[in-house]
Amino acid sequence: MFQLSPAGIDFVKTELNRYETKRSAILPCLYKVQEENGGWVSPEAVNHLADVMDIPAAHINEVLYFYTMYNKKPVGRLHVQVCATISCAMNGARELAKHICDKYQVKEGEISDDGMVTVTKVECLGSCGTAPMMQIGNAYYENLTKESAIEVIEDLKKKSTNQ
Amino acid sequence: MLKCKINGQDVEVAEGSSIIEAFKATGQDIAHYCWHPGLSVAGVCRLCMVEIEGNPRLQIACNTQVQEGMVINNNSDKIKDAVKWGLDFHLINHPLDCPICAQAGECQLQIQYMKFGQYDPEMAERKVKKRKVVDLGPKIVLDTERCILCSRCVRFTDEVSKTNELGIFNRGDHSEIGTVDDRPLDNPYSVNTVDICPVGALTSREFRFQQRVWYLKNETTVCNGCSTGCSTKVYFNEEGMWRVKPDHNDDVNGYWMCDEGRGTPRFVNKDSRLLSAWNGQKDEGQDLEAGAAAKAVGQTLKKVVAEQGSDKVAFVVTGQYTDQENRAFLSLAKDLGVKVYHWVNNPEKMDEFDGLLIRGDKNPNTYGLKEAMKEVGVGSPWSELESSVSDLEYVVVAGPENHFAYSDLTDKVDLFSKANHQVWFVAGDHDVLRAASNKVSLIPTKTYVEKDGTYKNFEGREQRIRRVMTLVPGALSLTEASKLMSGQELLVDGNVSESYRKTNFFSSNERGYL
Ligand code: SF4
Ligand code: SF4
Ligand code: FES
Ligand code: FES
Repeated sequence: MFQLSPAGIDFVKTELNRYETKRSAILPCLYKVQEENGGWVSPEAVNHLADVMDIPAAHINEVLYFYTMYNKKPVGRLHVQVCATISCAMNGARELAKHICDKYQVKEGEISDDGMVTVTKVECLGSCGTAPMMQIGNAYYENLTKESAIEVIEDLKKKSTNQ
Repeated sequence: MLKCKINGQDVEVAEGSSIIEAFKATGQDIAHYCWHPGLSVAGVCRLCMVEIEGNPRLQIACNTQVQEGMVINNNSDKIKDAVKWGLDFHLINHPLDCPICAQAGECQLQIQYMKFGQYDPEMAERKVKKRKVVDLGPKIVLDTERCILCSRCVRFTDEVSKTNELGIFNRGDHSEIGTVDDRPLDNPYSVNTVDICPVGALTSREFRFQQRVWYLKNETTVCNGCSTGCSTKVYFNEEGMWRVKPDHNDDVNGYWMCDEGRGTPRFVNKDSRLLSAWNGQKDEGQDLEAGAAAKAVGQTLKKVVAEQGSDKVAFVVTGQYTDQENRAFLSLAKDLGVKVYHWVNNPEKMDEFDGLLIRGDKNPNTYGLKEAMKEVGVGSPWSELESSVSDLEYVVVAGPENHFAYSDLTDKVDLFSKANHQVWFVAGDHDVLRAASNKVSLIPTKTYVEKDGTYKNFEGREQRIRRVMTLVPGALSLTEASKLMSGQELLVDGNVSESYRKTNFFSSNERGYL
């Protein structure tokens, strides 16, 4: 059963105080849940959050399912989000995404066999001037080539296994 | 008050009224899906377009307040075109499976299409497929494809039942109505969402595929499920009653009713009914004609009272009968000089109330019964009956028609079995009665849709019930039975009211949409 950490609960309580209505606090709280639940928001996590926030689970799901930035399925430890909107697309984003998928033998949106990598194509991340780019965790990796992208991922993989 | 003009007609409405309310006040027709008088305003269907003089753009009537002197219309060509397009957009992803849809005949898409549409669709896109036949528990089935996302059902669970089960999930044309993890939509008021769903997205498990609605007639009456006495519409054909829906009544139930109250067909319809009178003991006996049986009982009672004294007979009454019946029955007891006892089915729960509609007193007319007992001057404590029952020759019971609310029926049959005879006026056919160990007479009574009369609800509000249909021709009302028992005859025509003549099954032309 997923439970928010004490710090997570504090975060939710603070967010609840920030807004007039409880519903307004759903977005940041869902991010917190996603972060603490290994990158995705599970149905149990929604129920838990509903309890903590004291609002109906349906209201949370309405928000959760509206936004694609919340993962409704488990993801690998590294969630590689490749921007595939115009600038990036013109600079080879689709080929890049395909290259990463092929390299780790994983279909888009699925988890590689070692549980490390999930690749998804996302909409513009506002870094068009440095296309193509990708986001992993909270960091941007810009001006990518096929090789540099793999390098970044390998690097992160190593770091995360060493931890 | 504000003055405005609606399609050329002058109206005055209260300050703060919306334009759609002004339309409703004049009785003029206006297309709408998402607005419902009992819910908050959503303004999402964009069908209630009106043209306001001096305003270059069309406005929605449900979310625009009337201003002094507004001149409004919804019959210009511009409006017709706007509604036509609105409808076309609603139909982009609608599966159009009317032939297999339980809502057909009372579907707002069909109704508005016949008014504004009758065009060939101009949308060439492929329809988005969504989930069909989603199981939302024991009462409701959901078809997400048919949903037009008016959000009425969501607002109902948020605002009225306050149970918050429903939500709109996903985005754009993948938006879908549903519950969290497909949990059942099963609160005491959940079937109201089926009533307010303008299309066939939410359907009632009990009613779907039972009848085509255009073959049913409806008539307004009052629910007899509890002492709230909600105004209802019953839908019926010559076979019986098929469903119950709430009728608008601001003083009692607003626009809603509870799910349990929709179950009255269970004890009204013929298959659960006592069809003729019966005399016997331990499952053996013979059928009789109800009138003759009532007469015979009356004569015997008179004889017993004359020969052995009035304390050999007791009458038992329940809050299930109309004021008129109570009076007739109690007067008969008074004339005979016998004691009357009030059978309270669930004494601990009588005063319960859930804050919305449902009351613990599962009788429609406890108030009226108590009043009548006081007026006629009868009524003795129940404990007295319990201690004296074995000395009695006859217990005469005006039994419940809604036996589902009388879980103590068997206990009471056992109790009355200590007397020499028990006589039951009862609508349903119950094995426990036929199996009783003493001598039993059963006389079939009419249910609340088969007789005229009044109920007084928990606060004493007098409400009229109507004779809607006749399901068991032999059954008697308690008034008729009391007359026969006291030696009078029934006039052939005496009880047929005007309203019944006008609106029996074959003459009524009402067909129901909400
Ligand atoms: S299910 Fe019915 S009531 Fe609910 S949003 Fe859809 S169309 Fe409206
Ligand atoms: S609240 Fe009572 S009167 Fe109203 S529908 Fe339910 S049972 Fe009938
Ligand atoms: S198009 Fe890729 S960041 Fe804007
Ligand atoms: S009724 Fe006005 S927008 Fe739906």
